[in-house]
Amino acid sequence: MTTPQATSRQLPRSARLLVTFVNLRRRREEGGSIVFLIPIIFVFIALYAYPMGQSLYYSFTNFNGYSNSYKNVGFRNYHLIFTDSKMLAALSFTIMFAVGTTVIVTALAIPLATILNRRFIGKNFVRSVFFFPAIPSVAILGLVWGFILSPLGDGVLNTIIHSLTGLGPVPWLANSTLAQISTVAVSVWTLTGYHAMLYLAYLQSIPSDYLEAARIDGASGVQNFRYITLPLLTPAMTVSWLLLMAYGLTVYALPITLTKGGPGYATTTITQTIIQDGIASAQVGQASALAVLFLIVAGVVVLLQRKLSRILERKYS
Amino acid sequence: MKSRRSIVTSVIMIPLACFVGFPFYYILVNTFKTQADTANHPLALPSHLYFGNYLTVFQNTDLVRSFFNTLYVTTFSVMLMLVIGSMAAYGCLIGKGRTSTAIGLVMVVAFLIPAQSTLIPLYRMLIGLHLVDSLNGLVVLYCTGSIFCYYLILGYMRTIPAEMLEAARIDGAGPFRVYWTIVLPLIRPILITVGVFQTMWVWNDFIYPNVFISSPQHETLILQVYTAVGQFLTNWPAFMTLTVIVLIPMVIFFVFMQRHIVSGLMQGSIKG
Repeated sequence: MTTPQATSRQLPRSARLLVTFVNLRRRREEGGSIVFLIPIIFVFIALYAYPMGQSLYYSFTNFNGYSNSYKNVGFRNYHLIFTDSKMLAALSFTIMFAVGTTVIVTALAIPLATILNRRFIGKNFVRSVFFFPAIPSVAILGLVWGFILSPLGDGVLNTIIHSLTGLGPVPWLANSTLAQISTVAVSVWTLTGYHAMLYLAYLQSIPSDYLEAARIDGASGVQNFRYITLPLLTPAMTVSWLLLMAYGLTVYALPITLTKGGPGYATTTITQTIIQDGIASAQVGQASALAVLFLIVAGVVVLLQRKLSRILERKYS
Repeated sequence: MKSRRSIVTSVIMIPLACFVGFPFYYILVNTFKTQADTANHPLALPSHLYFGNYLTVFQNTDLVRSFFNTLYVTTFSVMLMLVIGSMAAYGCLIGKGRTSTAIGLVMVVAFLIPAQSTLIPLYRMLIGLHLVDSLNGLVVLYCTGSIFCYYLILGYMRTIPAEMLEAARIDGAGPFRVYWTIVLPLIRPILITVGVFQTMWVWNDFIYPNVFISSPQHETLILQVYTAVGQFLTNWPAFMTLTVIVLIPMVIFFVFMQRHIVSGLMQGSIKG
């Protein structure tokens, strides 16, 4: 394993500062705690800081991955993102996907969790079935749904629709809007049960006396939900939203396996564009600019999300 | 009154669950049918059990090899992640205040950087190290997961009474000894929980194998299913059989680890 000092020469400035800082601390402390931190610092520098610095650097060049005669092009790559229809499409679909999935999954998972918190016959069966899609790889689920939604006449869903209503094949994945809706729908299907379980874990920690006391005071079911359950669920929402937004913004496997990003660029995501441009077609500069922009978008979303959940928590508690 | 409400809930929820679980019924049922049977009666139960699809899949794909590839990558990367993450958490715990703050800050930065933003430089870096199209290269990439391990393990480690570590130190145990003989056994529950989550992530991951693996002999299970789509384009029952076979290890894993997954969800929410 290389020590941090040995690699420090090729590192970006921020990482070099960190290494110096770590070295300083090491000299001052002889308790040995630094030894335990070396592996993770190495992981951070080699797999996070250094590549991120490189992405940033390439984003200002016209580097194509092979020729070393690239030059600084300033903000041209960033400008290109906002004029290139393919990149704009990827940006807007990814954001739409992330927001749509988050909103719909939350709207379904909270009621589902409150129902699963009750006692009824077949509860374990219902809970297992809803959770099950969280177990297999999303890539496999995307491929299976691709077969089910196949736009041709022999897709299962189209066969069922045809035998029930006699209607012709619906172009689930061949029409841009329908393909986008289908992608969001399949992702909602894969995620709702998991997030319902997350909310359920929280619901079960709400003391039943609260609801009991409210009921004795004459609160209706809706009032109970609105004034007791929902406020107590806000911490769970923070976690769930963060997971959902992070998943939505970084989504790759599902659209690739379901639609390959098509038709056209209708369901192409940012990740897919970065991979295709930066690795397959070697437009490293442009893809790096998208990667940096993506980091900024992700950062802004996380900050906004934290702010929003803080407002909610303050409002309800 | 109460029991009537429970029955209404059952009457609504059970069909709804069947609807949600329908795709799984559909793929499982069709693995036991001939192609003609699938085309004519896609939803019916098989008229007789037909195992030809399973034979076809095992004859035409090297599932055993990709199973062991996936097992290799998952085992080594999860072990590495747990070691790196728990060491870092312990280092933070025993380190002085400023070290912990600095590392905490570094971790937040790492947490905010999505894998997508570093993908191109990582790809170029791994080419330089001859780790592209290699299982060890995947193990290196999955070490990024140690950040997540660090977070969850640190939260749990804080619940260990400081006196226990102090007592060991007074008895003359060095930091490594304390870490190995006292801390690791004490944090076993969180190591299992985090390990279960990371195993599911690595086993099911698609993006890294898809980008970094190109030759068939290094394929993981998930990547193999993806590349087999073309091969079985005209033979849907065989493709469904392949997906069912690939799902089996994860389902078995889940059945045994269910308890830890549920407790992990609680941990995650408590961490918030």
